[in-house]
Amino acid sequence: MSHQKTLRILIAKPGLDGHDRGAKVVARALSNAGMEVIYSGLHQTPELIVNTAIDEDVDAIGLSILSGAHNTIFPRVMALLKEKGVSDILVFGGGTIPKKDWAPLEALGIGKIFTPGADTQEIVTYLQGTRISNTKYNRRIHGR
Amino acid sequence: MADNRSEKGSLYRNEALTEIEKAEDGWCKKYPQERERLDEFTTLSGLTVSPLYTPASTPNMDYLQDLGFPGEPPFIRGVYPTMYRGSTWTRRQLAGYGPPEETNKRYRFLLEAGAEGINGVFDYPTLRGYDSDDPVAFGDVGRGGVAVDTIEDMATLFKGIPIDQVSISLVTCQPICNISVQSMFFANAQTRNVPLEHLTGTSQNDFLMETVMSIAPDVSPPRVAFKLSCDAIEFCARNAGRWNPVSFAGYNYREAGCNAFQEIAFVMANALACIEEMLRRGLKIDDFAPRLSFFFSAHNDFFEEICKYRAARRLWSRLIRDRFKPENPRSQALRFHVQTAGVALTAQQPLNNIVRSAYHALSAALGGAQSVHVDGFDEALCTPTELSSLTALRTQQILQLETRITHTIDPLAGSYFMENLTNEMEKRIVGLLEEVDSRGGIVKTVEDGWIHRAISDSAYDYQKAVESGEMPVVGVNCHRLSEEPYKAEIFATPETLAVQEAKLKRLRVERSADQAQKALDDINRCCERDGNLMEVIVESVKARVSEGEISRTIRDFYGKWNPPLF
Repeated sequence: MSHQKTLRILIAKPGLDGHDRGAKVVARALSNAGMEVIYSGLHQTPELIVNTAIDEDVDAIGLSILSGAHNTIFPRVMALLKEKGVSDILVFGGGTIPKKDWAPLEALGIGKIFTPGADTQEIVTYLQGTRISNTKYNRRIHGR
Repeated sequence: MADNRSEKGSLYRNEALTEIEKAEDGWCKKYPQERERLDEFTTLSGLTVSPLYTPASTPNMDYLQDLGFPGEPPFIRGVYPTMYRGSTWTRRQLAGYGPPEETNKRYRFLLEAGAEGINGVFDYPTLRGYDSDDPVAFGDVGRGGVAVDTIEDMATLFKGIPIDQVSISLVTCQPICNISVQSMFFANAQTRNVPLEHLTGTSQNDFLMETVMSIAPDVSPPRVAFKLSCDAIEFCARNAGRWNPVSFAGYNYREAGCNAFQEIAFVMANALACIEEMLRRGLKIDDFAPRLSFFFSAHNDFFEEICKYRAARRLWSRLIRDRFKPENPRSQALRFHVQTAGVALTAQQPLNNIVRSAYHALSAALGGAQSVHVDGFDEALCTPTELSSLTALRTQQILQLETRITHTIDPLAGSYFMENLTNEMEKRIVGLLEEVDSRGGIVKTVEDGWIHRAISDSAYDYQKAVESGEMPVVGVNCHRLSEEPYKAEIFATPETLAVQEAKLKRLRVERSADQAQKALDDINRCCERDGNLMEVIVESVKARVSEGEISRTIRDFYGKWNPPLF
């Protein structure tokens, strides 16, 4: 390995839902796995999340939602990313998101959804393994 | 060993204890340790558990001093003389979703099904101090609880419910929410000609909920959140004597990651700080201490949880006696509500959660809880459906009516193991309380982030234990199924945003703009003179100002704070 790859991940809590234990645990696990993690805290609007992701030049955004608002909030985040011409940031999700909602979310271009009981190592492996590596990473390492 | 023991008051003669210890040593030598299943047996919070307990496990136990009788200090055996022989714990099921019209229906459903009290839970925007039509509320209106923006919503929420007879708990969580929502509840009672002195119930109103649990950038500074919480306590002590103005939310601390000792130590540190503040404001300990109430979790470790409640009662009784010297012994009685641990529930094989929650509720009952909420089995999936709410209520009714665990008081007292574990837990809680004290008290540990870090560490340790398999979770890290045998119905939140937006729009046209402005000015002036905000807000809400307008006025005056995030 010529480069020690460091992924930058934004873990964001959209909306006013207060369940943040999972998001914080995931943020810590990713950080312990060597990633650079920005955790937003609660009260994030989709606009704030997308702007932070762009400003911080992250490889992926993890959205944690336990309020049931995922069908409203995820599409808004995806639309904003599209509006701003961003296609190289992976968006993945976590929280109480029923299985029946996964397919419509995936159709929007959202990556994997991690629900209660998921292993943090699974998330680490997922982020290290998937499409992030080819796009943003190369751009950052090899210049824009 | 035996020389250090005082026989006076002890349950055991030194001679007998020495004999027992000798025999126990002999037994231990023969004990085949290599045949044990685990390298180490511990409680969920990490205390070592021995294979066997004997009278030598509590050598200095003085019955009259350390255990005593129900209804009397140190209250370890229960806060009331008759406990569940007089009346069983209150079945208090949490409910709230959508617009107030919908939740009103669920309240009536639960009361008709035999619930005895209501725990009203509010949606995320209400909890965080925002109106339904605030841009930041987008997506969350009506979720996680009921949307309440104004006194009109409060009137709708409790329409047809006898608020002078049913005990109502307002799960307001954060002081910024409580100061408005409790004021609306009180003002609505006045409108219905129910005197505040007749209201029975509780508001949650815990400043750690705003500054440590569920944290966000730009929230109220800890001292402000603490002040708002104390304003409600003071207001109730002076005007609503049967209302519990705070429920120190150990449950939520536990859900956020705390272990059992942290849960108890942090609520007590918080409660002690509130007491100091009330005394500073000129109240006497007996004016308000009997109305301070607590809210605990019932987690997986059955015995540890029972001992936690018992240890908390004894410790609180002694702390209050030693520090504040009350005349009324009720000031020393720690009364608490229990909710079964949501964090222990699984999305996998959700019907297993019915069993888990039943064990949790049993520990609460054996630990002497005053009221209990049992979680819906689908809580790791969605807001509880009517079926899961009903099953949870039935879980309580089966415990109360069929098991006969309610026939005698504090039935596990005197068990060598239980008394030893109660003592050990109490020691750990005292140790943590001393640490908070040495760090300058609870408000200080919030300001400097020490408490955030402590809770975050515990949450992470818990996750690691689950992932390593050290902590078995059936259906998650063992006994998994590839196909779910039961398809849980997913609760659909009724349309709320449009309903609430329309109401706010109409209300802002209908109400007197002058009166509304005057009401907000009054709040601002009260901030300026550092007065009691609840005194003013109970009146302000009658001018139909909204929760969001009130919160904004307070936030604009006091400024914002950025807590450490993780």
